[in-house]
Amino acid sequence: MKRILLASLLLTASASAFATAPGGPGCGWGNMLFEGQRGLPSHLVASITNGTSGNATFGMTSGTNGCSTDGALQYNGKPMLVLGSIMTELSEDMAMGEGEALTTYAVVLGIKPEDRAHFASVTQAHFDEIFSSADVTAEQVHAATLAVLKADARLAQYVEQA
Amino acid sequence: MLRPLLLLALCSLSAVVLASPPPVSALHRLADETYWHSLGHYERGKLGGWRSYVDDDDFFLAEGGEQDPAAELAATLTALYAPATQGDRHAQCVYPARSRWLREQLNLTDLPAVECSEFATWYAEVAPHSAVLVFPAAYLNSPSSMFGHTLLRIDQANIDTQGSPLLSSALNFGAFIEGLDNSILYAWKGLMGGYPGLFSLLPYSEKIGEYSRLENRDLWEYRLNLTPDETGRMLEHVWELKQIRFDYFFFDENCSYRLLELLEIARPGLRLTAQFPLTAIPADTVRAVIDAGLVEGIDYRPSRERELLARTEPLETEELNWVRQLADDPQLLEQSGYLELPAERRALIQDGAYRLVRYRVTGEERDAANAAQSYRLLQAINRNPPPRLEVERPILPEYGHESRTLQFGLGSHGDRAFAEYGLRMAYHDLLDNLEGFPMGAQIEIAQLRMRQYEGNRWTLQRLDLAGIRSLTPVTPLLRPWSWQVAAGLERVPEADQDRLVGHLNGGGGFTWQFGDGLLGFALATARLEHNPDFGAAISPAAGFDSGLLWRNRAGNLLLEARGDYFHNGEVRRRISFAQQFELYDDIGLRLGLERSFSHRAEAETEVQLQLRWYYY
Repeated sequence: MKRILLASLLLTASASAFATAPGGPGCGWGNMLFEGQRGLPSHLVASITNGTSGNATFGMTSGTNGCSTDGALQYNGKPMLVLGSIMTELSEDMAMGEGEALTTYAVVLGIKPEDRAHFASVTQAHFDEIFSSADVTAEQVHAATLAVLKADARLAQYVEQA
Repeated sequence: MLRPLLLLALCSLSAVVLASPPPVSALHRLADETYWHSLGHYERGKLGGWRSYVDDDDFFLAEGGEQDPAAELAATLTALYAPATQGDRHAQCVYPARSRWLREQLNLTDLPAVECSEFATWYAEVAPHSAVLVFPAAYLNSPSSMFGHTLLRIDQANIDTQGSPLLSSALNFGAFIEGLDNSILYAWKGLMGGYPGLFSLLPYSEKIGEYSRLENRDLWEYRLNLTPDETGRMLEHVWELKQIRFDYFFFDENCSYRLLELLEIARPGLRLTAQFPLTAIPADTVRAVIDAGLVEGIDYRPSRERELLARTEPLETEELNWVRQLADDPQLLEQSGYLELPAERRALIQDGAYRLVRYRVTGEERDAANAAQSYRLLQAINRNPPPRLEVERPILPEYGHESRTLQFGLGSHGDRAFAEYGLRMAYHDLLDNLEGFPMGAQIEIAQLRMRQYEGNRWTLQRLDLAGIRSLTPVTPLLRPWSWQVAAGLERVPEADQDRLVGHLNGGGGFTWQFGDGLLGFALATARLEHNPDFGAAISPAAGFDSGLLWRNRAGNLLLEARGDYFHNGEVRRRISFAQQFELYDDIGLRLGLERSFSHRAEAETEVQLQLRWYYY
């Protein structure tokens, strides 16, 4: 699972000539940090209909969720979508050195439980490199994370495994 | 009865590939099984027979299958034996749950082997292993959310080693809304069944964002003890419901009801839906799931707003000022005045400021300036991280009182004694037993009160369509509106006797927290009244509504003063006092005193002692 994910990450990274939203518009994966989340226009409506705004999505992959899977943009959808959709939470967790989003990211990267605390402290120490500006995208965050892992003796294995 | 039999016979005959077709009697017995009814979402029709909740021809294989479980079963059986070349369109692929059940029940060992690649891919992706019932709790400033909502979280096998459910899927049933027309229309159509209901499956992380960030609702996660087999069976059926339309009604055929149906499919023999013939209020369905012994653990996920308030709660006034200033201008992080503060206080202040900045842009498009500010604060947090935020776990929402109320009161109005009988379909007012509810929130739907005066004279005292009040206190950081709306029929003073009038009113203002459990509110109000004694069909009034709500050891106390100044010169004022005594979880006693003044009648005093039983 992880192998496919990382391979697909590289593919997508190399396809970053598509300046706008890789995977198509609406695909979480080209999201910038602090991307807003929109909902239904009012609490009243949201709580009466319990609907999601005009979106009856029914799958995690297979071209759903707004991500096209054609051509060079093959990827293992779910973890990638998650990285796009939890990026703001990930930035918060990384800044503070703990949290759900950070753990999830570690899992997606295949980092073993015994190395996760170390992963948290290394990424916290290199926060400025991984989140290098307010305008980074999920792609850039991922590339920068891999670079940081590569420079760490204990975590480099997780990059090479890819 | 003859027709389904005939159909069955025909269908069985047409299934020539069947080595030895199951006897018609066996099929008929199966079509009477509860599980088959669950798979087809059949319910007993009002006039006998069956009807399915599914409102979509694509779901049924038999002509008229929505009213005929037996015909549908026969048609399904036939379709399972169709040539395997149909691939993903084959009934075995479209109806994996029906296929499994029929295969098991009838020992179908000779079914054609069909490759269902779409289903297999989807199932492998979701990888269902266990399930969690998720209940977004009420949000104070949105009393309509007191009805709540429920959804299911579908976890993969490694959920415990993953450390978080962010990779899980959320299974949601809701109204399907296209386009963005008017809000009121939305709400109306949602209530009245104007939208089709659909299941959707999406990343759980999105749902967390939606509830904890956009709607500021805490999430309660009830881990269910479904086995991997049971969870898988449920998901197989969910696949059958892909893009299938149900009717959606807010009160009964809603998210919670549909999820109970799914749980009945996961674990045959569960009886959950039968408990909710009229309304399925989510908190009640959560109780039903707990009572059925399905829950093995409860997790709590506070909303972003609650986290912001918890983080800034220990700060002093001066420090709160810093929070506000930093949120407006993160450049102040470098200012010497700020840097003189102790590092551990700065850690709290800047974390508070960051949360405030994020809170302010909730629901808005990304804004470059705000992103830059957020980033600046995040950098500061990174250099001086605050301690982990611990949010106190509130009382579980299902501990709240039951949703339907019977009322019995004795009192006097002026010099006339009366007995009063009331029924409220839902749900909670400012004075009702508070445990499990947020203080200062009220939502009442459909309330009827009849009075029996001395001499056995019966009158309709009031009929409320709806009454919603939301008293959310302002805090040093947040300044939410308080508001109320109500509509219905009620009695107002007239010279001879009280008159029954139709009314629609609303108000807006602010609420302040004066201490622990003491709220003061002041609202400006407007009212439209249809009063047969007034010249005009509709008479407008402007007014005020203010009071104190105090949580004391016996229950809640409300002191309130209201005034309505009509366009036609009538002035109506009321002051009231009420104290609820919380006798038991589901029983309260309420003492009320009210004095009303009107230009058109003598001032009157009403006293009432009322027993309130939250019974269903």
